[in-house]
Amino acid sequence: MSESNPKPYWKCPEERDAQENFLEAARDEFSEPVVVPTNGFGRRNFLKSAGFAVAAATLAGCSRAPVEKAIPFLVQPEEIIPGKAYFYASTCDGCSAACGMLVKNRDSRPIKLEGNPEHPVTRGGLCAVGQASLLGLYDSSRYLQPQAQGKPTTWDELDRAITAQLLAIRANKGAVRFLTGSIVSPTTRAQVRAFLKTFPVARHVVYDPLSSSAILDAHEGTHGSRLLPHYRFERAEVIVSFDADFLGTWISPVEFTAAYRAGRNPDAQPPRMSYHAQFESRMSITGSKADRRIRIAPNEIGLVMTQLAQRLAAKAGTKLNWNGLTASPMPEKELDDLAARLWAARGKSLVVCGEQEVAVQVLCNFINHLLGNYGATLDIEKPSFQRQGSDRELAALVEELRAGKVAALFTSGVNPVFDLPAGEEFAAALKRVPLVASFTERPDETSALAGYVCAAPHRLESWDDAEAVVGVVSLAQPAIRPLGNVRPLMETLAAWMGAPKSAYDLLRERWQKDVFPQQKSEKSFQAFWDRSVHDGFAVVEAEKSRVQSFQMAAVQPLAGTKPSAFSLVLYPKVGLLDGRHAYNPWLQELPDPVTKVTWDNYACLSPAAAKRLSVIEGDVVRLELASAAGSGNSIELPVYVQPGQHDSVVAVALGYGSKLSERFKHIGPSWFLAKLTTGDDGRVGKNAAPFVELRDGALHYSRADIRVTHTGGRRPLACTQSQNTIAVPKNLELPGVNRRPIVQETTLPVLLHGEAGGHEGQSNAAHEMWPADHPSTGHHWAMVVDMNACTGCSACVVACQAENNVPVVGRDEMLRHRSMHWMRIDRYYSGEDDAIDVAHQPFMCQQCGHAPCETVCPVLATVHSEEGLNQQIYNRCVGTRYCANNCPYKTRRFNWFDYLHDDTLQNMALNPDVAVRTRGVMEKCTFCVQRIQAAKIEAKQRGEKVADGAIQTACQQTCPAQAIVFGDRNDPKSRVSQLLKSGRNYAVLGEFNFQPSVGYLKIVRNRAESEGEKHNG
Amino acid sequence: MAEAHPVLHQPWIAGDKSPAQVTDEICANMERHPSAAWWIAFLVSVAVMIIGFAAIGYQLKTGIGTWGLNTTVGWAFDITNFVFWIGIGHAGTLISAILFLFRQRWRTSVNRSAEAMTIFAVMCAGIFPLIHMGRPWLAMWMFPYPNFRGPLWINFRSPLVWDFFAISTYFTISVVFWYLGLMPDLATVRDHTRSVWRRKLAAILCFGWDSSYRTWQRYETVYLLLAGLATPLVVSVHTIVSWDFATAVIPGWHTTIFPPYFVAGAIFSGMSMVLTLMIVARKTMNLQDYITPRHLDAMCKIVLGTSGIVALAYITEFFTAFYSGNPYEQFAFWNRALGPMGWGYWIMVACNVLIPQLYWSRRVRTSVVAVFIISLLVNVGMWFERFVIIVSSLHRDYLPANWTGYAPTIIEIATFAGTFGFFFTCFLLFCRFVPVIAISEVKGILSHGQPRGLHHAAANEPSGEGKPELVGAGALRRATGEVRP
Repeated sequence: MSESNPKPYWKCPEERDAQENFLEAARDEFSEPVVVPTNGFGRRNFLKSAGFAVAAATLAGCSRAPVEKAIPFLVQPEEIIPGKAYFYASTCDGCSAACGMLVKNRDSRPIKLEGNPEHPVTRGGLCAVGQASLLGLYDSSRYLQPQAQGKPTTWDELDRAITAQLLAIRANKGAVRFLTGSIVSPTTRAQVRAFLKTFPVARHVVYDPLSSSAILDAHEGTHGSRLLPHYRFERAEVIVSFDADFLGTWISPVEFTAAYRAGRNPDAQPPRMSYHAQFESRMSITGSKADRRIRIAPNEIGLVMTQLAQRLAAKAGTKLNWNGLTASPMPEKELDDLAARLWAARGKSLVVCGEQEVAVQVLCNFINHLLGNYGATLDIEKPSFQRQGSDRELAALVEELRAGKVAALFTSGVNPVFDLPAGEEFAAALKRVPLVASFTERPDETSALAGYVCAAPHRLESWDDAEAVVGVVSLAQPAIRPLGNVRPLMETLAAWMGAPKSAYDLLRERWQKDVFPQQKSEKSFQAFWDRSVHDGFAVVEAEKSRVQSFQMAAVQPLAGTKPSAFSLVLYPKVGLLDGRHAYNPWLQELPDPVTKVTWDNYACLSPAAAKRLSVIEGDVVRLELASAAGSGNSIELPVYVQPGQHDSVVAVALGYGSKLSERFKHIGPSWFLAKLTTGDDGRVGKNAAPFVELRDGALHYSRADIRVTHTGGRRPLACTQSQNTIAVPKNLELPGVNRRPIVQETTLPVLLHGEAGGHEGQSNAAHEMWPADHPSTGHHWAMVVDMNACTGCSACVVACQAENNVPVVGRDEMLRHRSMHWMRIDRYYSGEDDAIDVAHQPFMCQQCGHAPCETVCPVLATVHSEEGLNQQIYNRCVGTRYCANNCPYKTRRFNWFDYLHDDTLQNMALNPDVAVRTRGVMEKCTFCVQRIQAAKIEAKQRGEKVADGAIQTACQQTCPAQAIVFGDRNDPKSRVSQLLKSGRNYAVLGEFNFQPSVGYLKIVRNRAESEGEKHNG
Repeated sequence: MAEAHPVLHQPWIAGDKSPAQVTDEICANMERHPSAAWWIAFLVSVAVMIIGFAAIGYQLKTGIGTWGLNTTVGWAFDITNFVFWIGIGHAGTLISAILFLFRQRWRTSVNRSAEAMTIFAVMCAGIFPLIHMGRPWLAMWMFPYPNFRGPLWINFRSPLVWDFFAISTYFTISVVFWYLGLMPDLATVRDHTRSVWRRKLAAILCFGWDSSYRTWQRYETVYLLLAGLATPLVVSVHTIVSWDFATAVIPGWHTTIFPPYFVAGAIFSGMSMVLTLMIVARKTMNLQDYITPRHLDAMCKIVLGTSGIVALAYITEFFTAFYSGNPYEQFAFWNRALGPMGWGYWIMVACNVLIPQLYWSRRVRTSVVAVFIISLLVNVGMWFERFVIIVSSLHRDYLPANWTGYAPTIIEIATFAGTFGFFFTCFLLFCRFVPVIAISEVKGILSHGQPRGLHHAAANEPSGEGKPELVGAGALRRATGEVRP
């Protein structure tokens, strides 16, 4: 068709007209010239470069990534299952009390310390110091290498250098002195002895910064043997203590608390309730538990004891030619009553004295002797090794050092430059000693001056043993490989003696030689050793020490010294003690059990004394010796007004202001208004040790004639509790109830014979509006806190902190009342000047049945569990803080900032079972839900029900007084449900029907009913 | 009819203005260049706002710890400011909705700016619940939205959830109501302005308002309906805010009197804020003829009345505490008045109860200076009322061991100041870009051209240029069902 009819179609007239150039142009595709860029970055170049980049990136991606050991056990260590906790029995070395403990290991690292419930001396308790000593392991300030002249070195080099010097000293008959604290490890002690034997002139000098040498010296005088009796508080029905804070810091507080509590159990059948009278100048936690507490000045103690001894001697028919005694500073009648009580409890009473005056301690021994307490409540046949210091020998050493007579000085376990009165002088003398070696874990004042530092392992890294009291030998085993190149004292000494041996071998050798023969239950040493390692201790039939009969010659009556306007009393604080734990943030932030102050030491003054000086809390005062005013030996401290303290006493805690605390300068959140935790000198608190007096062969902790002057400065104290009583402030009193029934007390006669006591604030189930709102048919967890048993020692607070990854926030945050502790101990005073009663009330989340926090959370971040727990879901929490506002007990804690560990190594101590909370999230006590779950899983695996007592919360586990009981209240046989039915039980704010799951058992005071009413509240 | 007695009732708009004059005068503020005073005020406001937002930024970055709160006092400045600003907002809704329904014709002069104030105040208030959260980036969890986290819902028992709904509803209604009322005026702006962009913008924003009878009729029906809807909100929002406290167990919070007490307080403070703003506005924008001492007088009477309610609430609280026999409750109130934060209580009593009594005097009510000072003091007092309720109840609750104090940090103060900066920035922009007085409504109450004491439908009046708003003003009166002679 198209061929037959070639009809030309054209597109435009130009085409039709077939112009030549048009046709030319139409053939070309592009009418304009196409410019191809040739010199620029063309398409092909682009593709090449892109190809290269992709190839290069691929190649780079093929290279080996840095190895991250996400799976720690490619070769599974024997017996270790990831995620499962193991416990190793060990012995605490937080102080020289050597309490039994268990080390909880997760994935081969220790994460928690607990008391060893089978330990015959401490019976399962562990104090705040013991709990916190875990952080000492994960401490980046530790020496990880031995040091020579301030530079890291190797053990070989150090050994070579020191043995060379020692050879010379041996040849020149130079004096070698080994200065240590009380060494409770018999093996180490033997090792030191053996080492010193290799020198012609050598002596082991032992002193305790918190010395009890007067007790040992007094026994040398009265019983012919320098020993520390083993006090048996559980056997005493009447306890009289003169300034001995035996529940807080004196010698072996965990053991004494357990024993004291055993003797004070009003629920037992028949009820046991010892009578406890405390004579003291300041307010200690021991005084806070006393049935009768008498304020006396430190200079009056000897006098009161003399008066008491005289009365008892009269009853015993012992003739004394004591004439012209000074009159007692307290009513004669009261002293008569006390003597009568003691006399009635002959052989079942105990008089203890914390005074560092040998003559006073001799009187104390005399009283105990008159009462027949030796062999009953004081064991001197199997004495204690918890204090071995001899201040006389210390004084002699100081003289020698001063005279430059010492050729070599080794120090271990003490920090004399810091904790001795003449620290600066000691430091100067040290510089003249040719060879100074310090065995220490971390840099301190003394190690800074030592030519050689022998880096010592942490307790959890090495083998050791301990014999706190004769007959009970404990073992300590490593729970982790040493984090640094460290070596225990006994190994180092073995190396220096030319026979290097591991601590393990040394221990085994000595145990085989000395300990094994003292027991009969095991036939083979290996079996005995295995059992001892497993148990953490061995009870052996030790040889009884030989003591003479009582020597009257030493006993002398004492007159009171003349009173001074102010005398200074230096005391150790729970937690910090002599300052050896000043590096420990948990202990620094632990509120003092009585004052509730954190992070600082301060000058305690009685309210009357503060009024006299016209100072209030936080005003800075200068303390100096009146005789040496202006000599520079002064200390400036903020005032804390302490009810119940003697009006002529200013009390200051030891252990502060050490180099160890310099690390805390920037602890806590950093923001532009944050203040430093440390003071002007970059340290926490001020060192009061220069006021300790080494006189008459004893370290004295009280000084007369102190001048107290108001400097005009102010340093507010980071106190967690600002209101001291359960009564409303005087200016806000209204007719009606001004004393809140939060703390309830009763007296022994009322408890035994009276009615069960008006149950103030008991919840009334009849008023229940929603009876079946959320019934818990399975378990219903509940807790009972025995306020009568609680001493306020605060071990639970640190235990909770360790268990639940509670952060440390620093002084500034504490000043802002933002403590993060899930558990706190509220402390209330009642009564007037001379008769102050103290109540300690541990407070944790009350896990309310009708929880006010639960209804107000907008996002359901806090809900009720079927088991009666009030759960907080951190990752759902948006942080409105409404729950905390609505919590009547204010037990909730808010993460105001991101609280990171200032020392990231401390993250190793985190409990992997407990989430670490981020900023902006509310948190609180969970009743240790991770422990509940663990116990439930374990029971389920065995196909059993969870046994009563199988779950122990962290606070309960560590409590030396066993004041906390946890269990299932739906199980009528459980201890907790029995105690909840007790006549002493009450719920705090029970009248509001929050239905808390925590019951409190009333405090029982062993005093007459009428007295009780007077003091009640 | 009130207007039937001219001797007793002066006209609300002074100066016998013609409708055209009204349009000219009100639009003039938008059309002329801003004054130096405006610029200074604007720059200061913006500067303060920036400081405030910087403080908020720092707090968001660092943590709530930058505030002075503590374990016992978990809310202080944040929620005080929140309740304060919500309270400020209340007068706007009251004026625009309740007074509309009650035929309080003087409201026409102030309703536009009062509503604007409501919106800005609610925006300021809304900042605080958001930033007071520990983790504000999770604020959407307050929404009941479907999610994949299992049956994870919000807690409908929590007053904070109610709060969230109440405030978001309130804000939405306020904005819609305000914008609806603005539409005839935007049409006026469109027709009046010489600026091209303003005309185009207004044309879009007024949704092609054609001033037809049908448009007016529908407009006024919707307006009336919205007024009816907004009215319960005046009561509900602050009632629900008060439940944050009333449903809690803290002595001093746990009280049934809070809803009416809070609503009265909110109207009290909101009216005072309107007075403060109007006194400044009439002076600086030459609106003396529109906001006359008679307007101030009427508002002062409301302030006086609500002051009485608030005073009664203060007394009742103390009586209830005394009569309850609950020692914790008794102590909470005794501590409120005589405790360490008692000074706050007495500032509150002085500013909220004593000083407003001056309004019994007509001379005070009509004195611009006196009203200005008193209105400022009332707002100080009302801020302290919230502070006293929140902080003095919290800081000393059940267990004395937990008692603490509270002091704000510079961050909190800057944040609070910043919300004022934000508020005034918004308000100053509002004054420049929107007719501050409801032109169409004001025309409805002009006395111009009317026989004294008589009412005429404005549509019958000679309208001059025959501007659509005249029709509107008349239609408004018809639609609102006013009785005519």
